[in-house]
Amino acid sequence: MTDILIIGAGLSGLFASILAAKRNADVTLVSAGHGGLSISHGCIDVWSKATSSLSLSRLKKNHPYRIAGKRALNIAMEAFEDIMHDASYPFSGSLSKQLFIPTAIGSLHCTAYAPISLAHSQMTKGTPIAIASIAGLRDCFPEMLVKNLRSNGYLVERSISLSLPGSEPYRDLYSTDLAYRFEDSAYRDQIAQLWKPRLSGIHCLGIPAILGLRQPNQVYQSIQVLLGIELFEIPTPPPSLPGLRLEQVLFSTAAHFGVNIILGSSAIGRIDRSRKLKRVSGITLQTPSNSRQLKAQKVILATGGFLHGGLIAHRDGSIQESVFNLPIDYPENRKALLAPSLFDKQPYEMHGVRVNSRMQPLDLKGEPVYENLFSAGGIIAGADRQSEGSRQGIDLATAQRAVEAALE
Amino acid sequence: MPSLSTELLVIGAGATGLGIAWDACLRGIKVVVVDQSNIAQGTSGRYHGLLHSGGRYAVTDPISAQECASENSILRRIIPHAIEDTGGLYLALRTDPADYAHEWQRACQEIGIDVEPQSLDQVLRREPALTKSISQAFQVNAASLDSFDLLNSLSHSIRKTGGQVLLHHRVNEFIIEDNTVVAAELVSELDQTTMQIGAEIFINAAGPWSDQVAALAGVKIPITHSKGTMIAMANRLTHTVIHRCRPPSSGDAIVPAGSVMIIGTTDIPVSSANDLPIKPSEIDFLLDQGEELIPGFSNRRPLRAWSGIRPLYNPLHDDMNSTRGISRSHVLINHAETDGISGLASIFGGKLTTFRLMAQRVADFVAQELQIDDQCCTDTVPIEPEEKEFIILSNRTTRLLPSENNARDSVICECENVRRSEIEAYIQSSDHFELDNLRCTTRLGMGPCQSAFCSVRATGIAFSSYETEDLLIDLTSFIDRRWRGTSLLAWGQSMRQIVFSRRLYLELLGIQQVSGDKS
Amino acid sequence: MNQEFLPTDHCLKCNICTASCPVASVTDRFLGPKAVGPQAHRFQHPHYELPDVSEEWCSSCGTCTLVCPHDVPVAEMIAKMKERPNREASWRDRIISRPEMLGRLATRFASIVNPLINSSRVRAALERYFGISSKAPLPTIARTSLNKSLRDYYVKSPNRLEEISRLTVGYFHGCSTNFFEPMLGELAVVILESLGLYVFLPPQVCCGLPLQSNGLFDAARKLANKNIKLLTPFLREKIPIVGTSPSCMLAFKHDYRAILGIDTEESNLLANSTYDFFEFILQFVPEEVNRISYRKVVAHALYHPPCQLRGHGIGTPALTILRRIPGLQLEVSDFACCGVAGTYGVKSERYQVAYAVGEQLFQKALAMNVDFIISDSETCRWWISKHTKLPAYHPLEIMARSMGIIT
Repeated sequence: MTDILIIGAGLSGLFASILAAKRNADVTLVSAGHGGLSISHGCIDVWSKATSSLSLSRLKKNHPYRIAGKRALNIAMEAFEDIMHDASYPFSGSLSKQLFIPTAIGSLHCTAYAPISLAHSQMTKGTPIAIASIAGLRDCFPEMLVKNLRSNGYLVERSISLSLPGSEPYRDLYSTDLAYRFEDSAYRDQIAQLWKPRLSGIHCLGIPAILGLRQPNQVYQSIQVLLGIELFEIPTPPPSLPGLRLEQVLFSTAAHFGVNIILGSSAIGRIDRSRKLKRVSGITLQTPSNSRQLKAQKVILATGGFLHGGLIAHRDGSIQESVFNLPIDYPENRKALLAPSLFDKQPYEMHGVRVNSRMQPLDLKGEPVYENLFSAGGIIAGADRQSEGSRQGIDLATAQRAVEAALE
Repeated sequence: MPSLSTELLVIGAGATGLGIAWDACLRGIKVVVVDQSNIAQGTSGRYHGLLHSGGRYAVTDPISAQECASENSILRRIIPHAIEDTGGLYLALRTDPADYAHEWQRACQEIGIDVEPQSLDQVLRREPALTKSISQAFQVNAASLDSFDLLNSLSHSIRKTGGQVLLHHRVNEFIIEDNTVVAAELVSELDQTTMQIGAEIFINAAGPWSDQVAALAGVKIPITHSKGTMIAMANRLTHTVIHRCRPPSSGDAIVPAGSVMIIGTTDIPVSSANDLPIKPSEIDFLLDQGEELIPGFSNRRPLRAWSGIRPLYNPLHDDMNSTRGISRSHVLINHAETDGISGLASIFGGKLTTFRLMAQRVADFVAQELQIDDQCCTDTVPIEPEEKEFIILSNRTTRLLPSENNARDSVICECENVRRSEIEAYIQSSDHFELDNLRCTTRLGMGPCQSAFCSVRATGIAFSSYETEDLLIDLTSFIDRRWRGTSLLAWGQSMRQIVFSRRLYLELLGIQQVSGDKS
Repeated sequence: MNQEFLPTDHCLKCNICTASCPVASVTDRFLGPKAVGPQAHRFQHPHYELPDVSEEWCSSCGTCTLVCPHDVPVAEMIAKMKERPNREASWRDRIISRPEMLGRLATRFASIVNPLINSSRVRAALERYFGISSKAPLPTIARTSLNKSLRDYYVKSPNRLEEISRLTVGYFHGCSTNFFEPMLGELAVVILESLGLYVFLPPQVCCGLPLQSNGLFDAARKLANKNIKLLTPFLREKIPIVGTSPSCMLAFKHDYRAILGIDTEESNLLANSTYDFFEFILQFVPEEVNRISYRKVVAHALYHPPCQLRGHGIGTPALTILRRIPGLQLEVSDFACCGVAGTYGVKSERYQVAYAVGEQLFQKALAMNVDFIISDSETCRWWISKHTKLPAYHPLEIMARSMGIIT
């Protein structure tokens, strides 16, 4: 029997597992696969898209930030920064300021916390910069970057195409291929030899995010020294290294603190019917070969929204919560989940489980469905995280609150 | 105002219009084809992919059936590169009317359509995914025809033989002198400039927009619009065309097309040529029809749904007493005879499989009017392909290997294995860059991820060759169009793809910012 | 065929698998799991042969399937692509994929074979003529195989077990424990007995996984069906099978069905009755396990969960026990694969890539200054040990040390 069973190894689940393990709970983390960090920019969006700044009292009552509370958000961010600091992967930023990070096409992504190599682009506004594309990395769009960054007020002098040492690769390279190469100091020396002469006259260079997956800060600092210029990284289309780095740090930290990580199996909720109280007894773990019971005192559901199956949309228009079949509100007509244009606000973003201030999923009467079941992250209803730019902030704040409540 | 002069102006660059122009070119007639939009934006580009054996019409419309059967062999001769010889199976299920299959078989034999009975064992060995509750099965000569390849090849061949294909130009006025159409005024869809084209004969082959074009000359045509919806499934479940052997109805054909499989179609009367929303009930209906033929079909992943508008000849609405209806399914209306307006004729109806035959009849008419003796030879002269890779599956497969060439010729659309060189070739030959047209030409973006990665890559490649603002607007509108096709399928795995793409575009890339007006 | 396509439907092309693939990131010869698996699958057609799409570079570590959030069995799809007729396989592959045959021969001549394997001239010749990398570790042959030393433990039929009232478990030793590390098998038996279980050895043959990894599916299926046949009578009596080699156990639990395509009532029964050693004791005799008193083992060790163990989807049960041992300072490897992946890293044309996959793990182990490596899989132990010059132990051995069974 584990103390806390967390279902879902996305940002909220991983973070919750570390928080709980640091508090000496016996934690098991179960996930059918990785979460969405590899398709993210690896930053922490707290309230990035909305025009006004985050004021919790102005949010609707059922908004996850309001439910989790400002205190949970503050503590979560402190805990997050500590974890990152201990992992030698520091972040820059705060709850009261916005950072602007260039995207792969030269838009500016507004965020609250960003890793140093991405955040460094802030320092460069007002100074002439160049944009690098890397031969063999197909997800580089230097002309688009130059044009759009210029429209966004960056002094982009030019783009420069940089080649890689060694022979022609046999296929298009992914960002992770390059990251692996850059982790080798001998390779970095070769890069310096190859690139330095081409970079004369350039003081600051924006490059696709390929500077290592492990020890990224070390790689980043070392390359800057070797090249003698300032660099900032720009996240690429998936696999996005900044997201992967964050994921890697969280997995490592969780393992380090003794979280029992079970990857590759899915969870089916089990209800404890032995007592009168409505409780969950844990899950049935569906491994690739068979199924077995995993018992837990408390369970935190952190399975996310539709993307990775926390919520399932059925053809008949219904929406199902995939582990415990918790009550979800859904529209009568399937079409109503989506708005006509991709760029519109989407109804599907709002769906999920309703929770109380202890992050317990609620039934239609507003009562907790099970007294030892909590939830965190994207599975929670009430926030259009896309439009608000609140995805990671909600993940962290609700994870913090869920762990607090579970360990009370 | 710039002007052109020619002998034949064909309005509409669908299969019919291009077919007519091709036939005319081979007869030495000076031709200009115009289209309001880009290639494949009309009915021909929303096609099921079926090269009919003729079987479908054997009982209800033997003339059409005969035409399909003979055109089937002709097309295999003249445009083999656009055809995948999948073969076809007609299946009567145990729940289908038992005597229809016999009637159908007899009718086929009378017409001379090759029909070979198959045992259940043979059928299931060939296509293990099929249902076992088949009462009768027959093999026919159906195939999968790629209409994009067809249209692009026709267009290319026309240009090579001296014809002109002028895209993005919409006819907005006819100049009529003495009850004779002498010129058409056109406006460019791209920059709103106008031009004039004078000709001796004007053929209205504008498909669903034929009535709008005819109205410009003050004439009415007996056209009815019918919407046909189709769904592309993410994977091929069979490699053979599967037909339902029952009286022709909706959703009774499943066609392998490229790396996907298309089920269709519906037949819903609509009032206009414009894109009308598809209802969830149509989607459900098609998936349920598919389920009857292939168990588990309705749980498979649909990639996108779209509809085409069929311009049907409906003489019940017709109060003319003279038509040149050569067959019940397509009609050539000589407006000199029916409305007293000379120099203009309208052709509509028909099906893509018989486009060449329709074109032949129109070209015969044109030749007669121009007093030219040359006979049709489109049944023997091959339609020349452009130099590019064709879309059929086997071509895509052989290029998957890793090699030193690969990194240089980057794979831009990974789902469909479309290379950078193909996109560069497209850029070389196109004054106007349109992702949707690139899609039709190369299949870029037609795979499971529905262009989540390749749309931006392709735009990136085009960036140094075109106006960047236009490219970004095109990117945004292309992405949104892909959305509309997939948003009808908001369940299961398709829902996950939708959410994934949106997250990629809006959060990771921030596309909404670059097109200007979105927040 | 219908069912096979279902997983391809699920691929969203998100690249999570590509990002996690240890082989793709170190060599551009491998197109990557997404490209070789679900992507290439869409281009398959019965009439055209799918060309080589670099599937031979896949080490079958299974990481791609583990990390995929959409239930795409990427690794299994790629594994199936490796299937080829026997005549197409090289002599080398046909031989190294038959460890049972090799082991039987070698143990008879262990005193000759062992020095030969360690001779650099012999290794150079093996590399040159046979394609076995001279840098790859090869196991030491035991003089007395397990099936000789535990001969009395063999039970041919469940009838012999009818009178046993204790919880009974069959131990599947596998070729490696049998011929190369019999002590492990003996320890497993001793520990299980000390937990109150009745242990026996059922009749068994090689699990067939090396044959499968080398594409020799027909031969692998023969062995698989043989094992199923031999074990079913016991399984029907609800007797579980436990093993200390996670790769063999994964073959039983998963590969027989998902890759070799043996989907019968018996193969399903086998999959449901198979357990990893630590998984088993924690699940079946938890109270006895909780009563174990552990002596101090003062050491700093790095535990590397083998990729085949991760594939079980049960996490790392050995860690649960190891963490209870006082004095043992544990680091946990967060590398998905050490590189060897069974017979993969031994092949001279793959060695460089296999080494590159594990290189950072080796460096980390040395940088951490650990005393030894702990890993459940034999090939991981030999491989990491060779490249770090650190001793490597099965978690069983540490457990046994802490229980005072060995010193």
